[in-house]
Amino acid sequence: MPETPQTLTVVARAESLGPVTEFVRKGAREANLPQARVRELELLIEEIFINVSRYSYPESAPGVVTITYSVPAPGELAVEVGDQGIAFDPLAASPPDLTLDLMQRPIGGLGILLLKSFARLVTYRREQGWNRLKLTISANP
Amino acid sequence: MTLEGSAIDVPCSMRHPRGIVTIEQTQVGGKVVLRVAGRMDAETAIQFEQHCDSCIAEGFTNLIVDLCDLTYISSMGLRSFVATAKKLRDKGGELRICRLTGLVRQVFELTRLDKVFPLHDSVESALMEG
Repeated sequence: MPETPQTLTVVARAESLGPVTEFVRKGAREANLPQARVRELELLIEEIFINVSRYSYPESAPGVVTITYSVPAPGELAVEVGDQGIAFDPLAASPPDLTLDLMQRPIGGLGILLLKSFARLVTYRREQGWNRLKLTISANP
Repeated sequence: MTLEGSAIDVPCSMRHPRGIVTIEQTQVGGKVVLRVAGRMDAETAIQFEQHCDSCIAEGFTNLIVDLCDLTYISSMGLRSFVATAKKLRDKGGELRICRLTGLVRQVFELTRLDKVFPLHDSVESALMEG
């Protein structure tokens, strides 16, 4: 188990999702998370990362995203995703209308719902020009 | 790409290489059964949507998607399902989904897409309804 947090910095493009996923899987192994929690972790990280890569920076000038993980206790993994794009708190976003039928439903817009549903503990803060979204996954939900 | 034959509910296998989606296609009468395995994420969902678009371009309007070997789906995967289902409905057809399991079932239930798509416990059941 690393004593210090581990950080990966990537360009905020969808193509970076693979390395980001591999990086958090490494953290999940160090925290001894079971496979079911690892899949949930991957889902959460994808939803956060894709949201940042699509909306946080201007398309012509993508910035960076930092992913930092730590293992605060055995069976527990904390991951923080940071970006310097426009201020956006996904936890404050309006929920989608899930009562609409197929033809009324928008094609997208479900990522933040999944983020809120799966994360046991998610916090957002804006700090010195950075969006910082932190989540914690535990082996035992 | 199209195989003639009968679709059967072969046992689900829970293991599949990460980061890959595979699509097996079987044609049963005027319907197409797609067995989708692996992961549908931001990188791979487009492959599923393009495959469905090809089926629609060939004139198929009733697609049955067997997900028993799909181990992961994100919101980008869900987009592909909703987009494809809308195209099919516009043509008077339907997208039917079979054998949701695990995380994939959870995701469909949380987003209430399990109420939007016709769900089936077996491919045979979907073929009879469709």
